Amino acid sequence: MKLIRKVRVKNGLGLHTRPATAIVKLLQHCKSSVSFSYKRDTINAKSILSILMLAAKKNSLITMTIEGEDAGEIMDKLVTAFDNSFGE
Amino acid sequence: MLDTEEIWLLGKPICRGIAIGTPLFFQQAAEAVQVQEYAIPEAQVEQEVERYYTALEKAKQEVIALQKRLQKEKMFDAAAILDAHLAMMEDPLLTTYIEEQIRDVKKNAEFLFDAAISACQKRFSTIEDPFFRERFKDIRDISSRISDHLKNRVRSSLSDIPQNSIIFTDDLTAFDSAEAKSDAVAAFVTTEGGPTSHAAIVARAKGIPYVSNISFDKIAAKESQLIVDGRTGHIILNPAPKTLAKYTELKEQLQLHMQKVAHRGTLAAETFDGYGIQLSANIEMLEGVELLHRYGGHGIGLLRSETFFLSRGAFPSEEEQFRLYQHLVQQMKGLKTVIRAFDVGGDKYAHLISQPGKESNPFLGCRAIRFLLREREIFKTQLRAILRASTFGTVWLMFPMISSLSELQEAKQVLQEAKRELREAQLPFTDPLPVGCMIEVPSAALIADLLAKECNFLSIGTNDLVQYALAVDRSNSWISSLYSPFHPSVVRLIKLVAAEGEHNGVSVSICGEIAADPRFTPLLLGLGIQELSVAPRFLPVIKNAIRNTSIVSAYKLAEQVLKMRSTSEIEEFLTQEYRKNVPEDYFYNFS
Repeated sequence: MKLIRKVRVKNGLGLHTRPATAIVKLLQHCKSSVSFSYKRDTINAKSILSILMLAAKKNSLITMTIEGEDAGEIMDKLVTAFDNSFGE
Repeated sequence: MLDTEEIWLLGKPICRGIAIGTPLFFQQAAEAVQVQEYAIPEAQVEQEVERYYTALEKAKQEVIALQKRLQKEKMFDAAAILDAHLAMMEDPLLTTYIEEQIRDVKKNAEFLFDAAISACQKRFSTIEDPFFRERFKDIRDISSRISDHLKNRVRSSLSDIPQNSIIFTDDLTAFDSAEAKSDAVAAFVTTEGGPTSHAAIVARAKGIPYVSNISFDKIAAKESQLIVDGRTGHIILNPAPKTLAKYTELKEQLQLHMQKVAHRGTLAAETFDGYGIQLSANIEMLEGVELLHRYGGHGIGLLRSETFFLSRGAFPSEEEQFRLYQHLVQQMKGLKTVIRAFDVGGDKYAHLISQPGKESNPFLGCRAIRFLLREREIFKTQLRAILRASTFGTVWLMFPMISSLSELQEAKQVLQEAKRELREAQLPFTDPLPVGCMIEVPSAALIADLLAKECNFLSIGTNDLVQYALAVDRSNSWISSLYSPFHPSVVRLIKLVAAEGEHNGVSVSICGEIAADPRFTPLLLGLGIQELSVAPRFLPVIKNAIRNTSIVSAYKLAEQVLKMRSTSEIEEFLTQEYRKNVPEDYFYNFS
């Protein structure tokens, strides 16, 4: 299964260390491949360094691409996390 | 011989005390040593991969151990940042990617690791947003840990240093100081850094002498022994036997005196003719609370709320603040806790604030209450957290840097809003919550009568008051000698606030550094101050000063001082008086 969806970064400081840590933790045991595209970059969302290097500020639109058996479940979790501003 | 000549350097005293020790130059950035590059024979590739993962694992264990320690010390924020460090160590870029590289390129792990980090650094350096560019610091910290293990090099860390080390460094990070073995550090000396730097906070909390604004050019690493005089800001290199003997004795005398007064920690804070005053503590780290109880402090007179969230890039959430305040208030076991709203802006914690543009004059700019009234959500979030914590003990709320009545009124309105929201959410809080103003701007001191009518207490922050009254930026080395709390105008401002407080029936406290200077104690009592709030470490010294004076002589002394005409006259007089009252405290015995 392959899912593609756009999400908006809602928290004030963008995808900084804390949200990036949260994303990586969320994906720790995920079986699908997950990538984020922002501007011209596409990165592996399981890599905290890559997420930080996106330098995505508040209100950035991120395209998430998830491919694998648990894609649906992972997509729901990620969208919820983005919507909750990663608890900030 | 020139190289054995005694040299005196003068810096800025940040934390008092005397240290005699050996220098230790602490460089946090890994030195730019060329990393060796060599080929790995096919047969040894697996071994090399293994070697890399072993180094990574060791570095990880270090971080986990540090994190556990921070959690134990309740430094949750710093601990949370280490979560990110651990995630980075599990990052594919530092795990599988390096592994693949070793297999493909067949070169040594440190070379490939270093190349990967350099590539990373290059990427980060092209990021326009300074906030994200800064994140590379985290990577540098973990990469130096990993490469130290690869090279079997002892990491430059303050966790294991020889006894009596005098630490020379540009500045200390939150992690360096968290790792520091405090009983081995004799003193801190830095090139930069003011009283609000992280090193200063650690130094104050742990009672480590600290002098800043010292240039290291003259100091060689081979220096065998040197003296740091935290009273005056002197660093003495190659001390002559006579100087060494003098300071050794002075240090012993001071220790003896401190031990003696500390033993009397449980005695009442009252003058020998029976006038009692409130003696509380300024708290900027959780470990201060333990000292406060040991020395019989009456409460927290000033909780510097912003310092607990130092190590992070953003303001903490309501829940996080609530948990911290609740914990603190519970630890106080019913004693009063005055929580000051965030004092950020100016030179303080500028990284927490996204300012529209650089302020040309930050001290006269958007800081403290001005910032909070602009950023209402940050302010209200904090007020809600404080209100919620209020049911767990005795909480008072204080607004920083009030300069007009309308600011106090506006801040109180925001407090009302926060209360209304909590009521709607059916969350309990103490109502009414006592509210007070910091008096740290001359305009506030001059309208103390108006402020006193609309709040429950006043607290004079002398550090800023002196700076604003005398128009002296004390971090400016050209004029810092003009910065003196002994200036007659400062004494008059304190008297004015104390008198208006008394007239309007609200208590007036002092929480600036002069409260911790025992030479001021009789004067402050004589001017009518009812509460002194000092770093916990100074509670015994100030209590001793209180117990060695009488309220009658304090009034007389205050009258005398109010007639004096110059800074030096007042300083000399108060120093002499203190030496007469407490001859055994050599701290102010400069001769």
